[in-house]
Amino acid sequence: MIQPQTLLNVADNSGARELMCIRILGASNRRYAHIGDVIVAVIKEAVPNMPLERSEVIRAVIVRTCKELKRENGMRIRYDDNAAVVIDQEGNPKGTRVLVQSPGIERIEFHKNRLISSRSIIVVDEIMIE
Amino acid sequence: MVLKTELCRFSGAKIYPGKGIRFVRADSQVFLFSNSKCKRYFHNRLRPAKLTWTAVYRKQHKKDIHAEAVKKRRRATKKPYSRSIVGATLEVIQKKRTEKAEVRDAARAAALREIKERIKKTKDEKKAKKAEVTAKTQKTQAKAGLPKAPKGPKIGGGGGKR
Repeated sequence: MIQPQTLLNVADNSGARELMCIRILGASNRRYAHIGDVIVAVIKEAVPNMPLERSEVIRAVIVRTCKELKRENGMRIRYDDNAAVVIDQEGNPKGTRVLVQSPGIERIEFHKNRLISSRSIIVVDEIMIE
Repeated sequence: MVLKTELCRFSGAKIYPGKGIRFVRADSQVFLFSNSKCKRYFHNRLRPAKLTWTAVYRKQHKKDIHAEAVKKRRRATKKPYSRSIVGATLEVIQKKRTEKAEVRDAARAAALREIKERIKKTKDEKKAKKAEVTAKTQKTQAKAGLPKAPKGPKIGGGGGKR
């Protein structure tokens, strides 16, 4: 349940360390974002000498939330923190490696056209959890 | 239909599909909880070994060990196998089974004696052969008759032994 002013960790090596959510994309008065949703965020903390800098407004997709993700088979998955991956306007990740904190997962899939089925990004990831 | 049930990390209870909560910790360790009670206790840092209703506690305090022991004992007794196999029909097996100890010992002793005799016989034969061969080579050496030392090396005359 990410909302504006929420601080998120960054789960890739794009150069940002911490993001603050500004807006949730998808509907005009959308309240909360969950895993797989795209948000607009501002970089609050960045790694020095990287292309991304502090107070830059970027888009991100959420990959971990403290609020459980509910799947159709009844499984609920809860993480220890809130994290996002920085993406660009088309939906491609800005970083080259995604640090996913689940055993055995190396990648999160990004669809080239748009993040349509945004749950599907993490569906790949979640399926591999166990 | 086979359901795959998992075990709760806290209480040891079975988690059926559709139930339970999965928690992925920051160090990538995954915990499964069967209900929010287990989850709550885990997050409040209670130890399952101190709660009487968990599987960990029961194992530690050795509850239910008797039932397990009884089950194990029942499986240990083996029945004698009464079917004929290749190489020995049922009658042969039964006859062997009902043989008396003395009869078996006598048979065993007789077999051993036979083997010993056989070995002795082959040994004697070998000895005799060796004696023959050495006698023959000595004779041929004497015939060759060169002024050599009697116990000199057998040059070209040692082929008989092989």
